[in-house]
Amino acid sequence: MAEEFLDPTDSVAVPRRTASRPASLEGKVITLLDISKAKGDHLLDRIEELLRERHHPKAIHRRKKPTFARPAPEDLRALILKETEVLVEGLAD
Amino acid sequence: MATAADDPFETLYARGVTDGLPVVPPTRERVAAAVAAAGRPGDALVALVPPNFGRATVEKVAVNAVMAGCRPEYLPVVLAGVEAMCDDAFDLHGVSATTNSAAPLFIVNGPVRIRLEMNAGAGVFGPGHRANATIGRALRLIVRNIGGAAAGGVTMSTMAHPGYFTYCIAENEEESPWPPLSVQEGFAAGQSAVTAFAAYAPQVVYDHQSHRGEDLLVTVSHSIAVMSHHKSTHHGDTLLVISPEHARLLAKDGWDPDRMREFLWTRLRKPVRDLIPGVDGGEGLPAHVLAKFADPATHGTLIAKVREAANLKFVVAGGTAGRFTAVVAGWTFPKMSRMVTKPIHDGA
Repeated sequence: MAEEFLDPTDSVAVPRRTASRPASLEGKVITLLDISKAKGDHLLDRIEELLRERHHPKAIHRRKKPTFARPAPEDLRALILKETEVLVEGLAD
Repeated sequence: MATAADDPFETLYARGVTDGLPVVPPTRERVAAAVAAAGRPGDALVALVPPNFGRATVEKVAVNAVMAGCRPEYLPVVLAGVEAMCDDAFDLHGVSATTNSAAPLFIVNGPVRIRLEMNAGAGVFGPGHRANATIGRALRLIVRNIGGAAAGGVTMSTMAHPGYFTYCIAENEEESPWPPLSVQEGFAAGQSAVTAFAAYAPQVVYDHQSHRGEDLLVTVSHSIAVMSHHKSTHHGDTLLVISPEHARLLAKDGWDPDRMREFLWTRLRKPVRDLIPGVDGGEGLPAHVLAKFADPATHGTLIAKVREAANLKFVVAGGTAGRFTAVVAGWTFPKMSRMVTKPIHDGA
């Protein structure tokens, strides 16, 4: 019976699998993305300190979305994809 | 006892494509009838639906409309609703993802209201009218199933509200002394249209004692003043749904939407000194605004509750008995969701 019903979804609406997690952050290029929520920079400043202290990444890039209310612009997404192995996003206040 | 294997309602719930209430099974026949009534080919793209920007073809919209319980003739309204909420100015991405509690409210104007027997009168936000109930529900299912916004996933609303199931009203144009919302938003009188507004739950204001329009507006302004909290400022689009009795009182005293929005906007400003965080409640102006004033605690500069007078919108709806006005706050942060109106192409 089930196969008689048409599908109300679009394929991109199906939850996507997250990328595999690296075993170590050592020598990795990490991006810290500030989404422009209040005090997101405070959190990311501290995370950057701890990452440098404990994990010795190759580089840490700081990037920022113009507004938390909309998706990151295409060029920012492309930049992050190109330059980064690990992304940390500062969500909410 | 029905099981997931043999009961269509269980099957569809198990697929994760419903709002938790039973849906009408989207059989090929039902969907074909809905597509036929849409006036566009099934594979025509209507919009990309945020947050995942799924492709809303006419057929995908029809599948969701069938599931919501729509009659085929409702499809043109649903399609216009998709166009309105997927307009970039509406920012459905933010509306769907925020921890705030805003859902698209759809307001229908024009002759299509009559043809589809939409409710603009008593109990306008309530149940019992198929077109209101199912058009609003179809649009919610579209955001979930095509846009990918499911609660607890991309949708992070802390509270949500009952309008997340369905949130669709018609304006009571016959009882209104003013031009309908769609005309105020620039469309021709007689053109059917649907407006999407990122809306909190309605807060109903009771005023049976005002005998002058100005007194009524003062009462209502005190409820607008506490949207979000009593010290929040710079709200964007904000909707007042005015009952016919209140509208008549206001019109009798010469109030029209332009005059009302100027009066309310002016009255709703508060001096900086009344908006200090940690005084009379922890909330208040954000640090970057306070930094503009040398001594905010005594400063008298007036800060607007609603950014511009034009952000105040007016609709007349509800039953002919009762002196009530609903304040409907919008999703409000600067540069976020704007009210968007689209014409309905219903071939009439």
